[in-house]
Amino acid sequence: MKTVKKLKFTFNIALLLILIVIFAAISILNPVFLSPEYLLNVVLRNVVELGLISLPMTLIIITGGIDLSVGNIMVLSAMVGAMAAGRMGSVAGVIVTFLVGLACGLFNGIIIAKVKVPAMVTTLASMFLFLGLTRGMTGGDSVYAFPAAEAVGSKLFLGIPVQIFIYMICAVLFYILLAKSTFGRRLFGIGLNSNATKYCGVDIEKMLIRIYALSGLMCALAALIMIGRFSSLRYDAGTNINLKVITIVVLGGTSILGGTGDLKGTILATLIIGVLNSGLTVLNIPIDTQTIVHGTILIISLIAYEIVNRRTSSKRLKEVKTELLKKTG
Amino acid sequence: MKYLRVSPYALEKRHMEERREDMKKRITALFAAGILVVGTLAGCGKAKDTDTSAPAPAQTTKDEQSAAPADQKDTQGKKIKIAVLPKMKGENYWDACQVGAEDAAKELKDAGYDVELLYDGPPQDQATNQKQVDLLEGWIAQGVDAVAVGCVDASAISPTLKKAQEKGIKIVTFDSDSEPDARDLFINQASYEGVAKALVENAAAELKEKGYGPENPVNIAIMGQTKTDTNVEAWNSNIQELIKTDEYNWMKLQNPDSDIYYPGADEVETQTQAGTLISRMGEGADKIQCAFGITSMTAPALGSQYEASTNKPPVDKIVLTGVATPNALKSYILNEQNPLKFGVLWNTMDLAIWRCRRRTSWRQEISPQIPRR
Amino acid sequence: MDNSQKKNLKKLMTTEFYLLLFLILVLLFLAVFAKGFYDLSNLMNLLNRFNYVLIAAVGMNMIIITSNIDVSAGALVSVLCIIAASLGKQGLPIGVFLPVTMAAGAVLSMINGLFITKLHIPAIVATLATTQLFQGVLPLAVNGSIYDLPATFTWLAYDAKLFGIFPASTVLMLVVIVTGLLFMKYSKFSKKLYAIGNNKNGARLAGVNVDRTIVIAYTIAGALYGITAVIIGTASQRVTTTMANGKEMTFIAAVVLGGTSTAGGSGKLIGTVIGAFILSLVSPAINYLGISPDWSDAIMGGIIILSVVASAVNIKKKRRISAAPGGR
Repeated sequence: MKTVKKLKFTFNIALLLILIVIFAAISILNPVFLSPEYLLNVVLRNVVELGLISLPMTLIIITGGIDLSVGNIMVLSAMVGAMAAGRMGSVAGVIVTFLVGLACGLFNGIIIAKVKVPAMVTTLASMFLFLGLTRGMTGGDSVYAFPAAEAVGSKLFLGIPVQIFIYMICAVLFYILLAKSTFGRRLFGIGLNSNATKYCGVDIEKMLIRIYALSGLMCALAALIMIGRFSSLRYDAGTNINLKVITIVVLGGTSILGGTGDLKGTILATLIIGVLNSGLTVLNIPIDTQTIVHGTILIISLIAYEIVNRRTSSKRLKEVKTELLKKTG
Repeated sequence: MKYLRVSPYALEKRHMEERREDMKKRITALFAAGILVVGTLAGCGKAKDTDTSAPAPAQTTKDEQSAAPADQKDTQGKKIKIAVLPKMKGENYWDACQVGAEDAAKELKDAGYDVELLYDGPPQDQATNQKQVDLLEGWIAQGVDAVAVGCVDASAISPTLKKAQEKGIKIVTFDSDSEPDARDLFINQASYEGVAKALVENAAAELKEKGYGPENPVNIAIMGQTKTDTNVEAWNSNIQELIKTDEYNWMKLQNPDSDIYYPGADEVETQTQAGTLISRMGEGADKIQCAFGITSMTAPALGSQYEASTNKPPVDKIVLTGVATPNALKSYILNEQNPLKFGVLWNTMDLAIWRCRRRTSWRQEISPQIPRR
Repeated sequence: MDNSQKKNLKKLMTTEFYLLLFLILVLLFLAVFAKGFYDLSNLMNLLNRFNYVLIAAVGMNMIIITSNIDVSAGALVSVLCIIAASLGKQGLPIGVFLPVTMAAGAVLSMINGLFITKLHIPAIVATLATTQLFQGVLPLAVNGSIYDLPATFTWLAYDAKLFGIFPASTVLMLVVIVTGLLFMKYSKFSKKLYAIGNNKNGARLAGVNVDRTIVIAYTIAGALYGITAVIIGTASQRVTTTMANGKEMTFIAAVVLGGTSTAGGSGKLIGTVIGAFILSLVSPAINYLGISPDWSDAIMGGIIILSVVASAVNIKKKRRISAAPGGR
């Protein structure tokens, strides 16, 4: 167990180093990047939505699942919410946004857990469904923000954008949920060996439905922030988010196969992506090159993770062997 | 309050605003946006030129230089950073804009200005507001002097544009406008009514040649791109207004749901939907006789899908047309067997001078210059 | 006798059978309510779309059977479109640029396969990373898009018509699908694919070279993407750098709708054929019914969900499923 802990530690340290290197390099090349206003109002603020969704996504991927529909849940809930706000006022808008997010999450969760359709298939299909619903309902037009959304998306608190506080609170809550609660431990259990976990008396179906529903709720929260930030939203706003969020989680060291991962890595990866996104723009590096940089960093981190992983697992094998040898004499 | 609006602007209001802004524009252009305006104007003006692969008309250059000195005093010696943000990169029209913008920056440099041009935009498949805002914020932080934007989503980009304005950055929108209060100047290549009128007028003439008219009405279809393109949507609604007038009321839009297409920025989706539309065309009350492709992507798509179609609707029974660069349409226009016989584009010179916003149908003027394939 | 008949009947009641039934019902419905849907020009337009979706889906099907996936397919097809177009711009005929594009597709897709097998990176993540590489490198390699392609390039879409009716891409589709069906049914290689999808370690112990088989599957898929790219690219006189980005989801959806499980090891090619056809049908069908094509994604999603839920319930009835919940 000790070695496993050590591994996570080293990988997170590696992420932190990457973050510092990128940060330093960009700051040296263009000092504008270092201004507190840019760091807070642009770098952090622009990555909050991705960060918020990557929190529940980490939980989902730890159970060995995946959710390809997050971006589309976001846009759908924001749209229906904005329409409701237009008719019944801001409070109703917020409630409807969350209800729609929850409903979408439940929809995914129930099909995955109860009907036992693989998560990738389910969410691929619901991605098309949610995207199509938003596109069809609005006919391709945008919806506009309402006061409650603007309050979380474009207002400052103590000189810092409100959504950064929201993200920090959520990150802490999720960290506690995953690392310090039985719920969190059971998620790892599902990812490592779902049958064994089931026979330990864990209601896997309920757990899965819960985390997908949670993911839907977080999407709704991110949606509120996003529509508040941009003041309007179009149907295709969520299209690129799905794979970006998965990129963040994987970059953070969570194995796509399930069973390993932690939120510190995800949070660090969120920061890396945020710094890269806004930093490369400040350096006037064209978007195409930015895409390459993203891809390269992802590949490097995957290979690094694989190497670290393999080395530790072979180490562990040796340890087990020597222990066995000792025991058997 | 209404949060879901069908079209960002009421047409009436737009009408008034434009007239008022005409005056304002000239003033702003001279005193405030100065170099930038010239830069971008020349950029866009040139863009069309590169399209027709003709050398830049001398007059454009003259205009730039005569307008430039107005601002020379306060900007001399200082490096000017101009950022140009197109709707998307890698598409005919916008690629042409890039060439134009670069040429213009070079010319300004030659004229003694210290100009740095930044040109970047979202890739075609991710032509979303988020990408545009990401780029904009980077530029705001760097303190560029002016930004020229072709807006993907008018209302969604406006908060960021306002933020830039607060920082003293001059905002110019071109091609597709933002909210009027979020920019200093909008370069309108052609009046919305003008484009629509040119399309409908010419299409009507051609339909009449093909035996249609008040006693033999036609069904029309329109292909836009997305509902948030300010300019395209304005042309769209102007076309719909026009076909309600007595002169053109024999052109009918039967079912706005299925007969107005919004394929989005996706090239393949555009081709596919254009193909479906072509297959719905032909003679008869349940078919469509006239299709307008009102963006630089959909107009050529109509032409190419007609060529690709099996069992083509007869060329003397249908009319295809649209707004697009001459280059994108020339081979279809030159093909006798293709019903796409004309397109509409604002006159290059008008854009460069941006005073008399006159549109021309370039059917006659362009054709002789294009080499036969 | 009675018993064997029952067995035969049960054999028929597969996902593919239900899909076919559904397809026939839809086609009948359209015959009644969608005026002009059976117009020759619409059918051929639909066929052309079906052709390129299916050809790519055949490749995707092979990959998914091995319980891998390829989310880079869309970006890769975009790259291949540009390669085809840059060759076509030189005036080279289809006889040259089709094989070259296929070869390029095979090589690039093989890189995916090598990433997955040699570096042990899970397929979804590896292809996610290469997607970004493909998307980023392309616009740098070519400045913008390629316009004014000559008639020799658009020949496939404009002039080549089989018997004067069918788009020539149909020939390509038929060649691919017939070879594919025979290949998946009779070749040893296809058995290896299923074996790997069902139980990778078991297959390895049985003497299957797992890594090589997966790399070959990706390579073949890449060559098929090349054909898809040529069909998509030749559809007009200009080829942009993002032609097929995002289309990977359509390809995967066709495979999934056809009854192939993303868990691997199961699924028939004929299902993919029907799946691709249903997906190609949606957009024109609703347009002919007088509904905006904007709704097509929603309807596609709905159909896929209904189909996978129905088949999951069906399987559940038949036997206890071995796939763990929440697993891919």
